[in-house]
Amino acid sequence: MAEQKPQETTGGSEFEREPVPPDRLLGFKSFIGMYAGEHTAGTELMIGPLFVAAGVSAFDVVVGLIAGNVLAVLSWVFLCAPIATRARLTLYYQLEKICGRRLVTLYNLANGVMFCFLAGAMVTVSATALGVWFKFPMPELNDLYPNSIGWVLAVLACGAMISLVAAYGYKVVSKIANVAAPWMVLVFIAFGLVGLRQFIDATGTQIASLDDLWTLARTSIWKGGDPLPGQVKFTFWHVMFFAWFCNMAVHVGMSDLSVLRFAKKSWYAVASGAGMFLGHYLAWLAASILYAFQMHQDPGNTKVLPGPLAYQAAGLAGLLCVIIAGWTTANPTIYRAGLAFQAIVPKSSRFRVTLITGAIATVAAMFPALAMKLNDFVALYGLLLMPMGAVIFVDFWLIPKFGLRSSYAEWSGHRFNWAAFAAWVVTLAVCLGIVFIVGRWILYFVALPGWFIASGVYIVLSRVYQRQVPLPAAKG
Amino acid sequence: MRTTAIPVVVSVLSLVALMLPSILFLAGRMELPTVKWIMLLATVVWFAAATPWMWKQSG
Repeated sequence: MAEQKPQETTGGSEFEREPVPPDRLLGFKSFIGMYAGEHTAGTELMIGPLFVAAGVSAFDVVVGLIAGNVLAVLSWVFLCAPIATRARLTLYYQLEKICGRRLVTLYNLANGVMFCFLAGAMVTVSATALGVWFKFPMPELNDLYPNSIGWVLAVLACGAMISLVAAYGYKVVSKIANVAAPWMVLVFIAFGLVGLRQFIDATGTQIASLDDLWTLARTSIWKGGDPLPGQVKFTFWHVMFFAWFCNMAVHVGMSDLSVLRFAKKSWYAVASGAGMFLGHYLAWLAASILYAFQMHQDPGNTKVLPGPLAYQAAGLAGLLCVIIAGWTTANPTIYRAGLAFQAIVPKSSRFRVTLITGAIATVAAMFPALAMKLNDFVALYGLLLMPMGAVIFVDFWLIPKFGLRSSYAEWSGHRFNWAAFAAWVVTLAVCLGIVFIVGRWILYFVALPGWFIASGVYIVLSRVYQRQVPLPAAKG
Repeated sequence: MRTTAIPVVVSVLSLVALMLPSILFLAGRMELPTVKWIMLLATVVWFAAATPWMWKQSG
């Protein structure tokens, strides 16, 4: 799961309200490094094990992840990048032109709240590393509430440190994150190699060919069968859709317009494959191998705790990886959530807003339900922001074909495009209604029909909206 | 040139040292406690050697 960028007021970022000029465009290599680093985050250590807890089989996870990640890359390439390299605007400004400033403020609020919870999950990951040192009771897979004073104090310590650094020295941590990225990717891969050997030793398997390896994967690592209590059973389709949509806010939701507007060519978006296949393939599989080995040794131990998992595989280096992965990704997430909130109340101090945001994320992190249900949360996050991506796509490509005007808010001077707002709300109401009626398992799938619902509603209501709303006298 | 090249080479070697033990462990050629110690050492070397030049690179 990537630490995602809010598009609103990325402090200090350039060309916030104008297209990126040709002399500031970046080459392909810049995007490979950026995507690889962003998508190898602390939360990968939660997501991989949760696949095993969901009773996934070897074929479903190995092939499903390939299919889902390819679809995610294609979404970057064919949905997000073509608009980014034509308009060369941030998501925030693109949305403002379509929806008006007031609706963008509402979008910022939703984005900021989700950032807080996402940062909370990252703080949780870091706090599990402290448990290895201080030996306090840590949360179980199905715990909703904090289960020990030690856990609360560990989260408080991690959250306070991350929030303070985010408020004081965000740039320093972003530099540390750059330094840590290559090291972290290799430690993740080492987790997988060590876990694999441990499985070979524990099962007494002789590996002489790829067939033997596949048999070990099928019969001992990702065995399939029933999920653990409280978990949704993951099939091939669950895995594929999860891998595709876990960053939905970024590709289909168009958040990466702000990144890809710097790309010389739209095909540079294939660089997202580096992030998908390092972070969302190798890292997830490696983390899931460690958890499967824990379950193999003690079937009663279903705790998903990245700290102990990493420690048993790679010792102190593994523990450092968990802390740094959680820290370097939670930090910018808290900072950016603060920026999103600050955009709503521009006169407030950024320092204070970031601290308050960090405090909210820290309180959220104390509740293990957030991290233990991370797969559900990630799916919900994508779903929540996806409709606005559909609005941008339709507004950019289709609206003129229906005889309507693109960027209507900018053209008309209106601050709240209720056609876009209705598309957002109706889509969420329908999708979440389906989830409540049918069951939690469908949360991973509803975003696909949801995209078409959002697009259809926006087109239909734009016909009414653009006819009914009177234009200011100066506009023709 | 020389002052930049040495830390870069040391950094790359530390990443090799980080990965190699887990590969040897997978091949059954190294014990896990040794793997953990070498990974920790490689981690320390990586951050010591890579931080100065990567810090400058990231502006």
